[in-house]
Amino acid sequence: MTYVTNYLTLTSLVVLLPVFLAGAIWVIPASHTRTVVIAGAVVSVVGASWLALKIFESRGVHRTGEWIVFDPLAGILVLIVGALGITSILFSDTYLRGLTSGVVSQPFRTRLFYSVLLVFWAMLYAVPLAGNLGAAWLLIEGTTATSALLVGFSGKPRALEAGWKYLILTSAGMGVALLGIALLGTSSRIGGLGGLSWSTLSRSSGSHPDMLVAFVLVVVGLASKVGWAPVHNWLPDAHSEAPSPISGLLSGALLPCVLAVTWRTTKAMSPVVGTSPGHEILIGFGILSLAMAVPFLWQPLAWKRLLAYSSLEHMGIIALGIGFGGPLAIAGVIVHLFGHAIAKSLGFYASQSLLTHDPRSAKHPPGGVGRSSPKLGATLGISLATLSGFPPLPLFVSEVLILAGGFENGYLVASILSALLIAFGFIGLLQALLSTLLEDHHGSQKFHYVKTSPIFGLAILATVFLLIISWVGLYLPSSSFVHRLVSGMG
Amino acid sequence: MQGLSQWLMLVCGLSTVAVRRRSLAVGLATCQALALAGIAIYEANTIDESVAAGALVVRAIALAGLLTVLVSRTRETIPVRASVPPSIRSGLAVGLALILIWLIPVANHSNFDTLQVSFGLIAFGMVIIATRRATLFQILGIIFIENAIALAALGHSSYSSLVIELGVTLDLALIAMVASVFHDRIFAEFGTGDVAMLSDLRD
Repeated sequence: MTYVTNYLTLTSLVVLLPVFLAGAIWVIPASHTRTVVIAGAVVSVVGASWLALKIFESRGVHRTGEWIVFDPLAGILVLIVGALGITSILFSDTYLRGLTSGVVSQPFRTRLFYSVLLVFWAMLYAVPLAGNLGAAWLLIEGTTATSALLVGFSGKPRALEAGWKYLILTSAGMGVALLGIALLGTSSRIGGLGGLSWSTLSRSSGSHPDMLVAFVLVVVGLASKVGWAPVHNWLPDAHSEAPSPISGLLSGALLPCVLAVTWRTTKAMSPVVGTSPGHEILIGFGILSLAMAVPFLWQPLAWKRLLAYSSLEHMGIIALGIGFGGPLAIAGVIVHLFGHAIAKSLGFYASQSLLTHDPRSAKHPPGGVGRSSPKLGATLGISLATLSGFPPLPLFVSEVLILAGGFENGYLVASILSALLIAFGFIGLLQALLSTLLEDHHGSQKFHYVKTSPIFGLAILATVFLLIISWVGLYLPSSSFVHRLVSGMG
Repeated sequence: MQGLSQWLMLVCGLSTVAVRRRSLAVGLATCQALALAGIAIYEANTIDESVAAGALVVRAIALAGLLTVLVSRTRETIPVRASVPPSIRSGLAVGLALILIWLIPVANHSNFDTLQVSFGLIAFGMVIIATRRATLFQILGIIFIENAIALAALGHSSYSSLVIELGVTLDLALIAMVASVFHDRIFAEFGTGDVAMLSDLRD
């Protein structure tokens, strides 16, 4: 009970503080907005780290009624959301200073941006902690509304197009998921949200076909928000046109949070629909996403668009890991979640400096950045090398673990196919890496000076973390932490 | 009463698939939302259910107001023509509805009729989103899908409808508000609410 009380206090601090700040910045002087937001964000992140550590320390799963769950998966995601949230806030100032237009005029622009970002951040914290499918659905839809506003925040035609597609397509997809939830609700023995909690979903009383249909509807609906192929159309547009700090948060935090809800649903429903359907659907989405992403990774794309297609690839790899199951693949999933979040957000934050340095890179692939700005080139290189799965970086470790898990659990064809697609993706991103750093696409194009110290500092910090994650990843499969994730989830 | 209201919801949905004028479509969507609220009021036996029904009434009125303001603020100089003729749109909508009903095995379900109507409305919403070029119609498509789900949630007694209705209402209010902001900005930027103009992002 004390455990739960401590957890609740920390959760309230972590989730409600950003919401409070979102309101508070409208009543404090505008000149103090950034300082107050950063101070509050630091407190929230310290709370999030503390909460995650307490979850990791404890054995077993803790719940508060049917609303909140504290398990290792929630701990991992709270940590990721916290880290990416504060870095996004720190890099937002540069974005806002360079913004010449917006959905609202300047006196309100900065406050509106931070307000929406803070509410989005709070919802992101809450999604992995949601103790039942209904609450998780509502929170995910909340993230759609807030993040769509952020995607289209600049008010530029391309941003409006991306934001509109994101809003309409994911809302339609989430509508399909809600239909599945409503069907699950009809088979629940308990009324209200309690019937949709992760622990009671496994005791649904509906017939097998009904439950299977409901389950498929929920997973397919959520897939549209994760951005798995073939329901991924909005993803490359939204991630490439969003403000850079938001792109980092969308890719590194939002997608994994929604993916976690899909994972929990699959796990919770397995006693009712069997383990095979869930695993097969996830493996199918994984292979399809990889197959859809790889051809684009071979194309010369603008930097942010390349990163966006890489998100499609990596969400596919994580889906494969969850689908394969077992300690090896799940350890791979954990390493992948952390490695992808760090490398992808670094790449997106660096895109701000890249756009200042070489404005053409907004629509064209960058070239020769390693020569024109070595520190920026190094930052882009670290991000892309990690995302390509370059050894010994963590995504190499995770991909090996996931594929080994696939072979270990008898998914021979899927594993071989995935290995081939991952290899093709690696080659495509390696080409892009060499081109970004060394090739000179733009001939006599002049580059602009850009201050690279902040992003290069972050790149050094990120590299340290990435190497630690790689090292930890090697010991993870045999750890009790992974066994807790494999055997039990909130 | 319930059967009549469900038929009314279907007729409003299918008519919206076919109609050209935005103001007429807003009227039909309002009528559908009110029919849904009517079913909720008729079936309300507890305080929770009455609150949920009240929330649906408020939602219908608020949506009607919001959409009417949107239409009046963004007058199209040239009507945005859909990419598919009305007869084919209607055929697609009915066809998709029949396929959904056939695909999803709810024949043994106690609320078979209600679920069938819900699937029909979802199909109509999807066809509207896929075939209409006007941004306002795409918002209506989302609203139809949400109405369908609220109807499905109303159709059984074992499940507390308050939660789903309040949740859907809140969610829809948020999504509709954000979509309205986008509609407004798209109109200001392009001079029309035609999604055909949103085609710059291609690989």
